[in-house]
Amino acid sequence: MNRTGSLYVTGNSLFHRLDGAVKLVLFMAWTVMTYMFLDLRVFVLMLVVGIGLLATAGVPFKKMAFLFWLMIIFTVLNGIFILLITPTFGTRLTGTDTPLIPLGYNTINAETLFYVLTLSAKYLTLLPITILCIFTTQPSAFAGSLNRIGVPYKIAYAVSIALRYIPDLTEEFRSTLNSMQARGMGITKEDGSIAQRLRNLSAVVVPVLQSALHRIDSVTNAMELRGFGTEKRRTWYSGKEMEGLDWTLAVLGVLLLAVGIWLKVRVLKGFWYPF
Amino acid sequence: MMQPIISFQQYSFKYKNQSEPTLKDITLDIYPGEKIWIAGPSGSGKSTLAHCINGLIPFTYGGEISGSLSIAGRNPAELSIFELSRTVGTILQDQDSQFVGLSVAEDVAFVMENKAMPREQMKRETAASLERVGMLEYIEHSPYELSGGQKQSVSLAGVLSTDAEVLLFDEPLANLDPAGGREAMQLIDDIHRQSGKTVIIIEHRVEDVLQQPIDRIVLMKEGRIEAVGAPDEILASDLLRGCGLRPPLYVDALRYAGVSLEGVQGLSRPQSLGISGLGERLDRWSEQAAAQAVSRPAEPLLDVRGLTFGYEPGQPVLKDVSLQVGAGEIVALLGNNGAGKSTLSQLITGILKPQSGSILYAGREDMASWSIRRRGEAIGYVMQNPNRMITQHMIADEVGLGLKVRGVPAAEIKERVAGVLQTCGLYPFRNWPVSALSYGQKKRLSIAAILVLAPKLMILDEPTAGQDDRHYQEFMDFIEQLAEQGIGFLLITHDMYLALEYAQRAVVLSAGEILAADTVASVLSRPEVTEPAHLKETSLSLFAKANGLASPERFVQAFINAEKKGKKGYE
Repeated sequence: MNRTGSLYVTGNSLFHRLDGAVKLVLFMAWTVMTYMFLDLRVFVLMLVVGIGLLATAGVPFKKMAFLFWLMIIFTVLNGIFILLITPTFGTRLTGTDTPLIPLGYNTINAETLFYVLTLSAKYLTLLPITILCIFTTQPSAFAGSLNRIGVPYKIAYAVSIALRYIPDLTEEFRSTLNSMQARGMGITKEDGSIAQRLRNLSAVVVPVLQSALHRIDSVTNAMELRGFGTEKRRTWYSGKEMEGLDWTLAVLGVLLLAVGIWLKVRVLKGFWYPF
Repeated sequence: MMQPIISFQQYSFKYKNQSEPTLKDITLDIYPGEKIWIAGPSGSGKSTLAHCINGLIPFTYGGEISGSLSIAGRNPAELSIFELSRTVGTILQDQDSQFVGLSVAEDVAFVMENKAMPREQMKRETAASLERVGMLEYIEHSPYELSGGQKQSVSLAGVLSTDAEVLLFDEPLANLDPAGGREAMQLIDDIHRQSGKTVIIIEHRVEDVLQQPIDRIVLMKEGRIEAVGAPDEILASDLLRGCGLRPPLYVDALRYAGVSLEGVQGLSRPQSLGISGLGERLDRWSEQAAAQAVSRPAEPLLDVRGLTFGYEPGQPVLKDVSLQVGAGEIVALLGNNGAGKSTLSQLITGILKPQSGSILYAGREDMASWSIRRRGEAIGYVMQNPNRMITQHMIADEVGLGLKVRGVPAAEIKERVAGVLQTCGLYPFRNWPVSALSYGQKKRLSIAAILVLAPKLMILDEPTAGQDDRHYQEFMDFIEQLAEQGIGFLLITHDMYLALEYAQRAVVLSAGEILAADTVASVLSRPEVTEPAHLKETSLSLFAKANGLASPERFVQAFINAEKKGKKGYE
């Protein structure tokens, strides 16, 4: 994370240029699609598209490594637990039972294995689009575009103001913790039992919270003195007007979602199992 | 006759939940284009007066008003805070709270955004405003990349874009280092001269404000206006000290040297005063008063040797830093923001580990293997803001906390807490909640909570920041008493006057290296040290040079001696 608290990586890809609100629409459509289906063919298609988009955005892998591995580990663990705890769950979806790997207390069947594969693909389809949205959206421009799609500007501005002051608060928290540590009220091993260390940690929260409240007070004054909240609407320095491209992609997103819903209702109703 | 732009007539104000009015019977006219300085100690009502001018009173802080106030011919209570902000632009003390944008450009544009100005026009005007304060090249920067002074310039740019006729600066110097403060005053003066706007400055740091010309000083005391006058008049009288403010050091020095100030012109700036024979008189005075008390070499408590540290390889934050603090000694660690002062204190308290070099305690024991906790018992670290250190509800609990977590028996805790509270003058309050204490008392409490662990050395981070002269002196006299009992102090500060008056020695850190370590008077008389460290040459040595004194350093030393003698005299 850089010091402004955002993960934004500068660039000039399609996604960088896309309006924040349009990205939000696409992201929501994408998520709904993902949750609707249980069909490996759909997920493979979405994964290919998603990875393709991610490749064009040019976000360095180092930046997204953390999110990437977190998601992979979660998916793998999730898969392993399903296989170990309910090794024949797939039967419930397909009605067939093809024993494959004996476990001793039970046997993992091919249906469950395929189900886990489908499920993992389902989770992973969310990964590229999430990374894209997080790393290519400038936070202040995002506040402006939220406002444009109908979120009241006072709420939209909260996004921006939170990003502005979270690093300050973390820094304050750290320095308070350091001074407490010298008094013997830190959170390291030498400061006592886990319970004691948790108590110490919670004690630090008091001054930090107090200073946060004080900060809110003075920020509110500063904002009021500069006319925040007096007009019915406000403009935004960052960001730009919606362009043809933005509209096209927003419409495209909604259309794809409609097609998805049609597919779900008419064609790909349930769990897809080719064998 | 010109119409005043701001006019208070028998104006009083009482906050909703207070029994006494904070402003009493204020009558003051401020005319367009004037540069006014409202001075007074904390609690004198100067901030409240500022709130009345910018509309935070009555719109944010309610209360009872009597008398009348008109701003640009209108009663502020009939406007909204935003309408008022088109006349009065405020630059707040806390640059971090004032800076609400994620970048310089966004912060300057904030007012325009709120006025729903179209984006194209906004971009043009933002650039134009930044140009006026010389910050255009920083337009894309985030607040974390700016110094305190730069943030303030950005705030000023934001206010300039509103075309407000009155610029109100609420303690503009509070969080700036000396060089930053000088630049801020220079910028305010430039804007004042170019734009002809009315400028109102609320401050308690006398010498720093007077670096640039001021039309009138409004002295406040206990909610009333004590005096209004031109700087020369006010300085020649002894009114400043009566209002809990510190006159410029050279003015005090003249008094010590027995020079009469009556009718002296140009006292507000440390230039040549044109009093015949002044130089010789002062030289004679400094010759006899500058004899330095030979300080006995103190037993070294802390011995830092050749410390080098960096977060990234090849980019050392500290390079080969060595310094000593003896028992009962007060040493000032001076330097600009980012010089490595806090890194050094984190190395001493063990939060960071040095790449090379060593820290010896009591002259022999290497602290390298000591845990943070063990170091904390030998070396206390006190943060700048006491509110950030206080975690308990009751005063006695807060002081006893460090002992409690160390498993000291309850009876012993009680005894030691009582002892420490007595030392710190807080014993009468022992059963009070922390919230009942004033800021200065909380500051003492945060010292007490460290003192109870019986450290031999204390590191104080900006111990006097934000305190007015009286509280400052009270607090530092208290620290001196502790030093007399043998505790060593390392004061981390960019306040040169603090160092000058209270420290035996000063160590100057700049860009991670020690530039000088000597008596304070000598360090601060050397421009080759003060400039890179963002310090200022003291007004004393500037004054000495302007009046052709033989040795500025000796003059400074004579002043320090006279100060100390004066203080002893009062006791």
